[in-house]
Amino acid sequence: MASGEMARDSAIPRQPAGPDDPEAARRRRQAALRRYTRHPGFMVGATIILLLALLAILAPWIAPNSPLKTEMSLVLAEPSWAYPLGTDQFGRCVLSRLIYGAQISLQVGFWVVLISLTCGTLIGALAGFLGGWIERAIVALIDIMLAFPGFLLALALVAAQGSSLTSVITAVSIAYTPRVATVMRSVVLTIRPRPFIEASHAIGLTKLRILLRHVIPNAMPPVIVVATVSAATAILAEAGLSFLGLGVQPPTATWGSVIANGQAVITTRPLISLSAGLSIAVAVIGLNLLGDGLRDTLDPQMRRQTGAKML
Amino acid sequence: MQRSSPPSSDPSAAKAGPRGPVLELRDLVTRFPGDDGPLSIVDGVSLSVASGETLAVVGESGSGKTMTFLSAIGLIPPPGRVTSGQVLLEGTDLLTHTPEQLRAVRGERISMVFQDPLTGLNPVFTIGEQIVEVLRAHRKLSRAEARKKAIELLERVQIPDPGRRVDDYPHQLSGGMRQRVLIAMAISLDPSVLIADEPTTALDVTVQAQVLELLAELREESGMAMVLITHDLGLVARHADRVAVMYAGRVVEQGSAKAVFEQTAHPYTLSLFRGVPSLDTDTAQDLIEIEGQPPDPAFLPPGCAFEPRCFLGQGRASCQATRPGLQPTLGTEHQTACLHSAELTATRARA
Repeated sequence: MASGEMARDSAIPRQPAGPDDPEAARRRRQAALRRYTRHPGFMVGATIILLLALLAILAPWIAPNSPLKTEMSLVLAEPSWAYPLGTDQFGRCVLSRLIYGAQISLQVGFWVVLISLTCGTLIGALAGFLGGWIERAIVALIDIMLAFPGFLLALALVAAQGSSLTSVITAVSIAYTPRVATVMRSVVLTIRPRPFIEASHAIGLTKLRILLRHVIPNAMPPVIVVATVSAATAILAEAGLSFLGLGVQPPTATWGSVIANGQAVITTRPLISLSAGLSIAVAVIGLNLLGDGLRDTLDPQMRRQTGAKML
Repeated sequence: MQRSSPPSSDPSAAKAGPRGPVLELRDLVTRFPGDDGPLSIVDGVSLSVASGETLAVVGESGSGKTMTFLSAIGLIPPPGRVTSGQVLLEGTDLLTHTPEQLRAVRGERISMVFQDPLTGLNPVFTIGEQIVEVLRAHRKLSRAEARKKAIELLERVQIPDPGRRVDDYPHQLSGGMRQRVLIAMAISLDPSVLIADEPTTALDVTVQAQVLELLAELREESGMAMVLITHDLGLVARHADRVAVMYAGRVVEQGSAKAVFEQTAHPYTLSLFRGVPSLDTDTAQDLIEIEGQPPDPAFLPPGCAFEPRCFLGQGRASCQATRPGLQPTLGTEHQTACLHSAELTATRARA
């Protein structure tokens, strides 16, 4: 075959510089990065979550006071330089409790996403990929679990296990795994008939390999978006459980328990509950913006539309 | 086309001699459940292909070409099932294999290339990673060895600068290049049989020729047997040693390409030829389309499946009464499933 013919065959649209050029590769990476940095929602969300994470990690150095130390002489103090958001009815620094509370909320968010993403992905992918009675069994089980409101399920599970950080994380993870699994299964069902899966069977790859290497990686974008958004609902669920006294036990500082404590004095010291509520709202909004941003940048069709809008 | 090797229809020749069949299907039947009992999508197909030979399987869409070979390699989509017959690959019956044994055979000894190269590769991995994966699924190779082999394979399918291309993602390659990569994957383990299912349908004409030329070269180098599933009769004329024409799940005519082209013995085959433009036909009127649609497998006529569309047998009582089997015509190699093939000689003269 003449080289002239080959050149015609190898013509690549949209990349006149050719893919072999390291400069072009670098530009592609930059372009990919720019899609994220040019998305205002993504940037705001990412900044919020990053700041919250820093706050949580650096809590011992940032917090003005100990979150647990009670100062009986300073019960329900007004905001001051020493106690920027005042103190609660036990004389504890509200700002410090909020800063330490971020640790619990973000831990719950992180672990719930990790656990429900891993389990949900595997369960959903197995159901969608294997089909047959396995799929029917898994789908039936998921439907049963989805019939319970997620929060109610988590509530029942925590009540059964006793309250601790681990049991909150387990309970919320169990409640949210079926949601991830449902999304995963539906995405896998669209990937299973694609020709490269058929081709993988035809060249003798094992089912496990096809599942792990070909099905799951292609199904991840929508699942990652669901996971980010479910981090927000997990934080809400933890706050709700703490508010009801079923979350991490006192005197540990959590946003939910700060709201609950502040509720008793909400008419005289509204700032306590309000500031904790605001913390939850900011974290949830941050995660939702992040999730939306990921959806826009991971989905090539959305990318084109928002790309035009952004520029 | 010159070396038309005898396809031994003699069962004792199943032990693959140097020119004996590598792949032989015998009376293969694949059924799908239908509303009124099972439908035979592949209905008693017998075919064989020898090493170094290209067998073209021709027919309209829905004639069971692809289903026949998916059945053979155990990839028939459920609820379809192979209900009877044999698939002899180098003498052993694949239908008696367990799914795991079949998986080990696929890619290793029999490989398939599909129609659509644009979606045939996983978009999230580089082509190198995908070739390496096939190699390592079947052979104990280190990553470095497999990568080296992958580059050699890309070179073998004539991809320029394979050392760099190996790290490209599928979207960086043109359709023709992607089909070459898929071919590289299919031949990576030196299979004895390569099944190419309309390998060029999705490509433009100049690239089609290059890909087919590549397949022919690879076949000659390695001596593998090739099955070319196609509805393009032009390809058949240029690339096939033998031809099998399928209609409604059955083989209706088979023989050497020369025999099928020059002494066409089935009215369906002749109708296919008359639907292809050539330099000899002067006007558009000379192209004759086949009337009607291929039959619905749920409502096959009791007699010959082609009778309702046949210029020769339409309305004939004999055609409506019996479903003809494959019968030798002039030589044993050339067979046709038509009761009145003798009358075709006259029609051919007129056409």
